This record gives sequence, structure tokens and C-alpha cells, in this order.
Amino acid sequence: MTLETFLTLTEDEQLALLTENGIYIGKRTDRLLPSILYQLDSFYVEIVYRKYRRYIWVINCSNSTAILDPYLDQVESVIQVN
Amino acid sequence: MSKFTDQEYLVVYADDDPDDLELLTESFRQFASHLRVEIFRDGVSALSYLLNLSALEPVPCLIILDINMPRLDGKECLKKIRDADRLQDVPVVLFTTSISDRDKEFAARHNAGFITKPLSSSQMEIITHELIGHCADDVRKIISR
Repeated sequence: MTLETFLTLTEDEQLALLTENGIYIGKRTDRLLPSILYQLDSFYVEIVYRKYRRYIWVINCSNSTAILDPYLDQVESVIQVN
Repeated sequence: MSKFTDQEYLVVYADDDPDDLELLTESFRQFASHLRVEIFRDGVSALSYLLNLSALEPVPCLIILDINMPRLDGKECLKKIRDADRLQDVPVVLFTTSISDRDKEFAARHNAGFITKPLSSSQMEIITHELIGHCADDVRKIISR
């Protein structure tokens, strides 16, 4: 599956594919909007929720590892707090 | 912790993510007339609660465990549940973000279900009924009334 093919799917198809094959990377909250990040083959999919795991605000997809940065920043800040 | 009454069945759910705890308890609210959900933030507290149920208290109709939890993860918790005589046959489901075949095989080896956490409200609705589907037939019929 390529990012280009993934983008042609409906939202339900994208979610079903992520549930079956997506590798969970992490979760974060930005301005009260929770989001979770998955890796699917060679690209990343971020689901931003209005309500966690229920109502989706937007789905962001990227081939770039830059999408990982805010998740890594969050892990670092948790480590610093602890 | 509220006292168990014989009018309701007990579900034990352990997860370290407060959002997931809220998601599932909210989904189970539709069964509130027959079902009470006890939540725990790690495997140790869930296990301690389960092992300290008195002989007069019924065992849960369902135990739901996240895999990645502090202190005692869901898989270790499941192993210890299966070691306890009274809990050996209680339905357990690993409820997780994992899609790992090893985790699925682990669950099957320990007579437990394996359900991947949902990504949308429609998936959550299906999963709620899948979870209830792990309860014994008689319990499931009463809960779903």
C-alpha cells in the first residue's frame, strides 16, 4: 500500500485498514484535540479527534518522518517531568 | 469502590490510558441496568482486586485488559488470572492497540479474546458488542435485554 493509494480510499476503508494493519506509534493532545499516529507500510497516518476514538476532526498522512516529531517531543517532556 | 449487588454483573477493566477508560465505560453505559464496570489503572491493582474478591462475591462476567500498562502488563496479568482457580474460566479480552500476531497467539493460548482498539464511533459500537459477546450466553442475554 502506498500513500497515494491510501488517499483514494474512503474514510471507513482507511480506518479499517489501519485497524487491521496499522502499527500504533503514539498518542498526543494538542489544544485539547487528541490524536493518534500509525505507521502503515512506508508512510504515517495521524488521526486527530474532536472526541477521542469517536469523532474524527481530520486525518493527516505523510511520507515524512517529521510527523513523528511532536510525538517524540511529548515523550521527551514526559521523561523530563519524571 | 461500590459494593457489588446481585442485580448486576461485574466487568473489570484495566487500562493506563484515562481516555480509553472513559471511552469504554461510556460505551458500556447502555448496559448500566445490568452491568457495573470497575476500572483500574494498572495490572497490579486489577489483579489485587480480583484475587481479593470474597467467596460470597461473584466473579466478573468479563475482564478486559490493556496490554501496555505500568507495574504489571495485560499479558502478565492474564497469566496470573489463569493461575487463580476461581478465575480460570472467566472470559478475558486483551483490548489493545497491538496488531501483533504474537500477542494474538498469546491471547489464544490463554483462552482469551483479542480486540484491537477502535478508531471511530462506528467501530466502537461494533467492538462494544464484540466485548459483550465474550460473556457467557446467559449473562449476555440478560445484559442485552
